[in-house]
Amino acid sequence: MSKQSVIDTSTSQPVSGWNAATSSWLPAVILLLVTIVLWEAAVRIFSISSFIVPAPSEIARSLVAQWDTLAQATVVTAGEILFGFLVSVVVGIALALVIVRFDWLGRALYPLVVLFQNVPKVALAPIFILWFGYGLAPKIGLILVIAFFPVTLSMLAGMQSVDRSLLSLMHSVGASPTQILFRIRVPHSLPSLMAGTKIAATLSVIGAIVGEFAGASDGLGYVIQFASTQLDTPLVFAALLLVSVLGIAFYYAAEFLERIVVPWAPKFSQA
Amino acid sequence: MRHADLISAKGVSVVMGTDQNRQLILRDIDLSVPQGSFVSLIGPSGCGKSTLLKVLAGLVSPSSGSVSIAGASPGEAARKRMIGLVFQDANLLPWKNAVDNASMLLGIADKSMSRSALRARGQEMLELVGLGDAAHKRPNELSGGMRQRVAIARALALDPAVLLMDEPFGALDAITRDSMGQSLLEIWQRTGKTIVFVTHSIDEAIQLSRQVHVLGIKPGRITQSLDVPLPYPRDASVAEIPEFVRLVLQLRGMLRSSHQPGDAS
Repeated sequence: MSKQSVIDTSTSQPVSGWNAATSSWLPAVILLLVTIVLWEAAVRIFSISSFIVPAPSEIARSLVAQWDTLAQATVVTAGEILFGFLVSVVVGIALALVIVRFDWLGRALYPLVVLFQNVPKVALAPIFILWFGYGLAPKIGLILVIAFFPVTLSMLAGMQSVDRSLLSLMHSVGASPTQILFRIRVPHSLPSLMAGTKIAATLSVIGAIVGEFAGASDGLGYVIQFASTQLDTPLVFAALLLVSVLGIAFYYAAEFLERIVVPWAPKFSQA
Repeated sequence: MRHADLISAKGVSVVMGTDQNRQLILRDIDLSVPQGSFVSLIGPSGCGKSTLLKVLAGLVSPSSGSVSIAGASPGEAARKRMIGLVFQDANLLPWKNAVDNASMLLGIADKSMSRSALRARGQEMLELVGLGDAAHKRPNELSGGMRQRVAIARALALDPAVLLMDEPFGALDAITRDSMGQSLLEIWQRTGKTIVFVTHSIDEAIQLSRQVHVLGIKPGRITQSLDVPLPYPRDASVAEIPEFVRLVLQLRGMLRSSHQPGDAS
């Protein structure tokens, strides 16, 4: 009888979808909650001043009290990120296509692109302000120079890793370079491109904040800078929290996009 | 050149590499493949059998000598869709389903065909290779053997006169390999294609082909040829008859002697 019950409650039963999802999220959520509790306790026990390290409750209070300002700043920053990200992806893809399709131009451009990658882009922020003023343009420019590179690089890697015998097959039926590019190389590069796009999404968030640091009258970067000059550290942390939420949101949006664009990618085939 | 030879190579040599490091890959190859025949090329790795196949496909130009396929150069023959290629890796496009993969090369070779005509042709070819039910499956839903069947269907969709196959079953397990060989023989007999088949499996060469050419290394050259007088249709049981065993032993002996690099012979 007892043997029977052991078999009945067998753990080898397939875990239901909801259970599987919880078990993958649960450790992270528990760790987060524990950290918050320890943080709160530490601040209270050692009576740390809130302008040095604010307690989570303090940050939450600030978040609620300043919600209108923060929400408005979040919308502004999110707009910059989205616009800058899209421009980066378009420019990054165009550059990769030009490098692959026009051999001589590619040989001219590629070293320059790599060289440019070594310029500390954060240091360009003041120059962009000088050139483009305090509006949207310098932020988009900064996001572009930070985020286009992984897009270009990942797409190039994808386009150049096409199997040689597949190219032989294409040549054997007289396919033109343009046909090989658009029928084979571009679709073949999509899984790799999507990985680069996810990196670009994360870098776009950084680009927007750096752009706002350098000169802005709005957005979360501006709020962070303004609040720190006022020693309103809880507000700084509240704005930082929202920046993180934006970053996570953009990352998962890119991942969602990946599932739609390349459902056939090797990484999804195990599922 | 005999009248019935579809493929005829005369004195073909291939030299590759830079000026400082020139390598003679193939030396003085004479090969004739009769129309409708099934010919295998067998040899140790590095003997240039894949290069020879590429020369026949027009993908590598010989440094000297000439190749004719039904009187045309390999390049012309490829443009006339006379050549179907199958490699060891199926090389299917993972974003297309089986039927679209099967018609992919045809769509590039013949730009005038409509999408639905291409699909119909792809479906017809999938049925020929025994994959009629798998038309809408993506490559990652197919087994290795099934993927290779799609690759064969893709080559056949061009309706080529010649099927050039470079170790097409080399990556498959033994059981799948046997059944693929049987299917290939059925397809060959049904379609009457001329097949040139590169392999490193002695059994496979004897089991499938009408004639086997043995290639030696350094430089790659045809050292000996063996006719396989076993009657078609052959099924898996052909491996049990004494004549088969005798031919396998004979071919093994030929291969062993071809392993010695030859120079001024």
